[in-house]
Amino acid sequence: MPKRTDIHSVLIIGAGPIIIGQACEFDYSGTQACKALREEGYRVILVNSNPATIMTDPEFADRTYIEPITPLAVEKILVRELEEMRRMGVPVDAPGDGSTPGKLVLLPTLGGQTALNTAMALHRTGVLQRLGVEMIGAKADAIQRGEDRETFKQLMIQIGLDVPISGTAHTFEEARGVAERIGRYPLIIRPGFTLGGTGGGIAYNRDEFEEIARRGLDLSPVSEILIEESLLGWKEYEMEVMRDVADNCVIICSIENFDPMGVHTGDSITVAPIQTLTDKEFQIMRDASFAVIRAVGVETGGSNIQFSVNPENGRMIVIEMNPRVSRSSALASKATGFPIAKIAAKLAVGYRLDEIRNDITRETPASFEPTIDYVVTKIPRFAFEKFPQADPTLTTQMKSVGEAMAIGRTFKESLQKCLRSLEIGRSGLGGDGKPWRVGTDVYGDREILPNDIISRKLSVPNAERIFFIRHAFRAGFSADQIFHLTKIDPWFLDQIRELVEFEEELAASAPTIAA
Amino acid sequence: MNPELLERAKVLGFSDRQIAHLTGQTEDAVRARRRELKLVPSYRLVDTCAAEFEAYTPYYYSSWDRGDDEVVASDRRKVMILGGGPNRIGQGIEFDYCCVHAAFALKEDGFETLMVNSNPETVSTDYDTSDKLFFEPLTLEDVLHIYEREKCWGAIAQFGGQTPLNLALGLKKNGVNIIGTSPESIEIAEDRKLFAAMLDRLGIPQPQNGLATTEAEALVIARRLGYPVLVRPSFVLGGRAMQIVYSDGELQHYMRYAVEASPERPVLVDKFLEDATEVDVDCVADMGHFPDAKDGTAVIGGILEHIEFAGVHSGDAAMVLPPHTLSLSVIETIRQYTHAMARELRVTGLMNVQYAVKGEKVYVLEVNPRASRTVPFVSKAIGVPLAKLAAKVMAGKTLQELGFTEERWPKYWAVKESVFPFNRFPGQDILLSPEMRSTGEVMGLDADLGIAYAKAQMAAGSPLPLKGKIFLSVAAPHKAEVAEVAQLFVNLGFELVATSGTASVLEKAGIKVQRVLKVLEGRPNIVDHLKNKEIQMVINTPSGAAPREDEVKIRTTAVMTGTPIMTTLSGARAVAMGIEALQKSGFQVRTIQEYH
Repeated sequence: MPKRTDIHSVLIIGAGPIIIGQACEFDYSGTQACKALREEGYRVILVNSNPATIMTDPEFADRTYIEPITPLAVEKILVRELEEMRRMGVPVDAPGDGSTPGKLVLLPTLGGQTALNTAMALHRTGVLQRLGVEMIGAKADAIQRGEDRETFKQLMIQIGLDVPISGTAHTFEEARGVAERIGRYPLIIRPGFTLGGTGGGIAYNRDEFEEIARRGLDLSPVSEILIEESLLGWKEYEMEVMRDVADNCVIICSIENFDPMGVHTGDSITVAPIQTLTDKEFQIMRDASFAVIRAVGVETGGSNIQFSVNPENGRMIVIEMNPRVSRSSALASKATGFPIAKIAAKLAVGYRLDEIRNDITRETPASFEPTIDYVVTKIPRFAFEKFPQADPTLTTQMKSVGEAMAIGRTFKESLQKCLRSLEIGRSGLGGDGKPWRVGTDVYGDREILPNDIISRKLSVPNAERIFFIRHAFRAGFSADQIFHLTKIDPWFLDQIRELVEFEEELAASAPTIAA
Repeated sequence: MNPELLERAKVLGFSDRQIAHLTGQTEDAVRARRRELKLVPSYRLVDTCAAEFEAYTPYYYSSWDRGDDEVVASDRRKVMILGGGPNRIGQGIEFDYCCVHAAFALKEDGFETLMVNSNPETVSTDYDTSDKLFFEPLTLEDVLHIYEREKCWGAIAQFGGQTPLNLALGLKKNGVNIIGTSPESIEIAEDRKLFAAMLDRLGIPQPQNGLATTEAEALVIARRLGYPVLVRPSFVLGGRAMQIVYSDGELQHYMRYAVEASPERPVLVDKFLEDATEVDVDCVADMGHFPDAKDGTAVIGGILEHIEFAGVHSGDAAMVLPPHTLSLSVIETIRQYTHAMARELRVTGLMNVQYAVKGEKVYVLEVNPRASRTVPFVSKAIGVPLAKLAAKVMAGKTLQELGFTEERWPKYWAVKESVFPFNRFPGQDILLSPEMRSTGEVMGLDADLGIAYAKAQMAAGSPLPLKGKIFLSVAAPHKAEVAEVAQLFVNLGFELVATSGTASVLEKAGIKVQRVLKVLEGRPNIVDHLKNKEIQMVINTPSGAAPREDEVKIRTTAVMTGTPIMTTLSGARAVAMGIEALQKSGFQVRTIQEYH
């Protein structure tokens, strides 16, 4: 199907200010979308309140509104732009046969949760319908199915996929009821429609549950929380999927979380492609991803689907889906070279995957799934030093402020490159001469740390855990012991063990050099 | 060193620095040995197809598996742009914006542009932003490999924030041509003694100050200057460990626990100018291209007046462009000082200056001859891409040639507001300080200053209430002023709520106020009222260096309940102005294409 000819102008909603959970990846995706849609000859209108973005440079859109991203402001923009189109002689009010460009449409899937929430508010209050503005990229009902946890869960059960035992609550009493029904701690609490899981958390006991449930209900704009059985320690995966209007689907990238379930994926070390699944397991997950995007009904564009696998029995569970371009999409784009946001924008205006050429090869179409012959590692960057009163434990609520990515031929190479990209003064996994600080204690770089500190730093997820795996091996912990403390897949632990062993070999070679 | 062992180390991703430390050598020695062995990385393509098809987009990563090198050769003049690495507080998207502009600008001028960065979230790491993208760590080793492999003509280190600046000296020592303002000039701006000498020569005042390498020295300096003093370590961005201290005790605590002072890294102690107004200036200049700097041009991009009192980090402060309270003579003084310093430092590219204005007197706080956090904001506000112009200047053009020789003074207002992550860190106090903690920023644009401010608040996620109840609680030093501020809100139709201390002050001034209980006075108290959403806004100013527990509780509850909160009276005044404008006429929207 060629591109739509009934569209005259497209309003792209940006993501607004940089906050935790919504960083400059949405400048990247919005900038790509602006370029892609202008390339197709559409008039592009943009709203974003963040002046530090490239997308708000005047040459990236025909009309750039540096205005607040609120339903009211966006409504004012739509009204104003429809007037402007009428003034330009665009047949806005004549429905036509679809061959004359006359429509103003709204693309809400490239500006993160902010854009999606704003568009959904305009849909719910009937503003879009009243103004005759269509949402492209994802329809309101698909967004609803993807974002509303209960609807999503029922849908997954219908298509035969496994989901965590859970229940939603709108009041504190309901929340207590759900907790009793699931019957065992720990419990995961996730507030509905919040960014990066704001207000969520893991409750290990009744007190914690009540505190987090209250906060979650407070913070959710629809006063809704999901309470789930804990999958702590399970393996976590993400799939970046794209679908076109003719129902073609492709997997752009598969991502494995080094940190098991319990740590927000934005706070996890992640690796692409998936390293520790068999091909059979991977294919099952791939098929499931297609089933999910189809069932939710994201017609055109990209989605991010998260899975969890029980390492003991292989039980695979669908965790959630983002029916939009997400933080992981930016990572997947950089990891594979495949420009997800650009292609998503083109799919939204009617192209099929096989009609879009891949810029990189100029030969293969976008329906050609990327293949990568290297390993990509992403590590989050935290800023706890700025918030001394805050709890530095990593949970399901995202706390990192940025991330670094590195590419190497092996996991070991990409891990060390990524660690030295973090700007935390380290030049790799260790052995770089920089001392280690644990609370108020300082240890030499090659010093063996006390076992109790190591155990604690391994069992409670924290920003430095990766380095404590090195400390643990050097202190004589076995891979098995480390696995039991961290639940990090033994394959990853083995890779780190190899790095530690080589570090010792290198250090042992020193005297001969000095001599 | 054993070549086989060295090669294995590199294949496993060990950096030269790690190898050096583990084998008891210097990093330079490891590099020299590798050069001798011709042990360098090869560059592979990220091509979506595992090399099955030919790839046309030059997106590379390094590897040591010694396979084929896939970099396309070219003989164009190459400029390397060093990115900012991972986002963190103090170093965000603003610097990526500048790097992207450098790539666009130099491409336009016929250079081949090479981007080096390790942050996957950015536009700079999009494969069509530069001519070649190297997705690599920003370390001396990794950057040198690319520079040497590609035989670059020059490198830009002043656009990516602190990360590339920290590399600049090492790169220069290794033969890299760092273009733009000379490293000698940058040193004058960064070295306290050289900087003070320059200001003396130019007759520009700065707050009295000193350098301390020990606690004892710090105490001597602080007593000489008189408290409060502003203390901070040298060589940091984002105000890491920057603090205002009011007493010997606080200063001792700071020197013992907050910083590691040493002769190489002394602590800067400045007299803190209380109740001064801070001003940020971004300017672009081409002085380095002329034998006599007087023949060059410097143009101020924007003068930004802070809304909060001096002492709030400029990355956290709300700002207004153009200045809304400064007198014409103060603005003229700022202009003169800026031009004089640009000339003296022979600035070639961007320069940011921070001033403090007390009465009619203007002090220079700091000069940074590089891209600053406010460059994108100013560029959007005046409709001139400063970073792009600066990159072209750095690569050889003059401002005359680029047609930018006149300062632009907009006929509308641009307000910058910062956005904080406090809702992520329950229990963390939210007071603004010299240590930067915001993650992002928004801009409010309008012909009316009140509306521009109100828009900025809306965009930052704390829209101003138009009616309802406002809770006021101010510290002793602010009590004199509070009645006047409170009256503004009464005039706008708000009801006031306060605990006993502030309530008495207001009642004495004849203002009606509803009394509520303090946290420790029983229930329901102010925190309950906040949780029940009975309060539409909070104005709470800090009571000194060690805030009381109940104050912190009020502030954190406001954040968790999404109640707008102002922690300075100047912020509260701006709010009143914004509410008044919104009540009168609501707000309209307008494109930047129409503004410029």
